[in-house]
Parts: sequence; C-alpha cells; structure tokens
Amino acid sequence: MQRQPVTNGAVRPLPKFLNLAQIRFPVGAIASILHRVSGVVLVVALPLLASALGESLRSPQGFDAVLESATRSWFTPLLFVGVWALVHHVFAGVRHLLMDIGVGVRLSQARASALVSIAAGIVAVLVALLAWGLR
Amino acid sequence: MRVFSGQRAWLLQRFTAIAILVLLVLGAFPLVTTDGSAYERWHAMATSTHGVVLVLAFFVSMGLHAWIGVRDVVLDYVHAPALRLPLLAVVAFVLIAVQIRVLMILT
Repeated sequence: MQRQPVTNGAVRPLPKFLNLAQIRFPVGAIASILHRVSGVVLVVALPLLASALGESLRSPQGFDAVLESATRSWFTPLLFVGVWALVHHVFAGVRHLLMDIGVGVRLSQARASALVSIAAGIVAVLVALLAWGLR
Repeated sequence: MRVFSGQRAWLLQRFTAIAILVLLVLGAFPLVTTDGSAYERWHAMATSTHGVVLVLAFFVSMGLHAWIGVRDVVLDYVHAPALRLPLLAVVAFVLIAVQIRVLMILT
C-alpha cells in the first residue's frame, strides 16, 4: 500500500478511490454554492417580479390577485423558495462585501459567517412558514 | 462585447449589490411609515416621482447584477460553445425584456 508521510511524522494511507460518501465540503464552500444557487433562483424570479409590479399597480383587485396567487395557489411553495433565496443571497452577499474590505477574513470568522448565512436562509423560511400558517 | 468584463464587472457587481440593498430599504420605508390600505401605500410609493425612479433604479441594478452573476455561473459550468452562447443570449434577452417591461409599466 502507498503511504504518504505527514508533518508530524506519522504515516497515513492514501485514499485508493474517490469515496463520494466521505467527502465533506467545508461550510464556506456550501455557503458559496448556495450563494450561486440562490442567485439563479432570484434571476428566474425577476421576470415574475416585473409581472407582479405591473399587475399590483393596475388596480386594487390586481394587487389582491398578486397577493392571492403568491400566498394561496400552486405557486406558494415557490414563494418560500424565493424567501430562502433572497435572505441567503443577501447574507452571503453582505459577507462577501465585508470580506472585500477586510472584515471577517480570518478562517474561524469566515466559517462562522458562512454558517450564519446558511442559518439565516433556513430561519427566514421557518419565520415565513410561521407567518403564513398564522395569517 | 466586453463592456462588463474583468475588474469592471467585479466592481459593478459590488456597486449594484449595495444599490439593491439601499433601494430596498428606501422603498420599504414609505410603505411602513404611511397610512392607508396596503394597496394605497404601495401605489402611492411606486407611482410617486421618487418611487418611479427608485423602482426603475432597482430593476436596472437587478438586471446588471443578474447579468454578471449568471454570466459567471454559465461560464463556470457550461463549457460547450454551442450551448454557452445560446444560453447567454436567452438570459440577455429575458433581462432586457424585463427592463423594457418595467419601463412600460412605470411610464
């Protein structure tokens, strides 16, 4: 078996194959890919937002119809996806902006803020679900 | 066209990000501080002179931010030129159509 020395003098076997079940992405990588996924979700939502803008300004009935279809139709599950995407994207984006000016760039801080951005998206959906259920 | 590429795109992505956040707060402020039904407050805000500029600036910022973001994602994951270019063209078409639609709604 091939062995590879590590810095403390011990040896460990090299992995013989890529075990997908054993790969663990660092939390920063998860926040990063979710930033991309949420961004794409928001791009898809943009034409819908433009439609909602036009319909909601047309008349009080149009405004109610937009709220109705957003909160009480087949579309409603997608509304919660949108809530997640918006909140995660904003948190992860602000995290990036702060890092650009040198805030929170230490590894421990970066990991903590990545976790916060992931948690914020989940909490936002839970709050939205709660508000929707209690309405 | 390489207007929004390299460092300029990177910078524009940051500026539009900040603009979107500021415009969201500015737009939400009159909605929560004025009286009337939800429709009245929304209609008054979005059709006022300030509101039209604000909503327009919001969608322009979103369009630019979305374009740079989607372009980065497509260039990273879609490698076949035969797929890449049509995909980017469709995205550009939709984003420009959204801008025209918003412009027509607000004017």
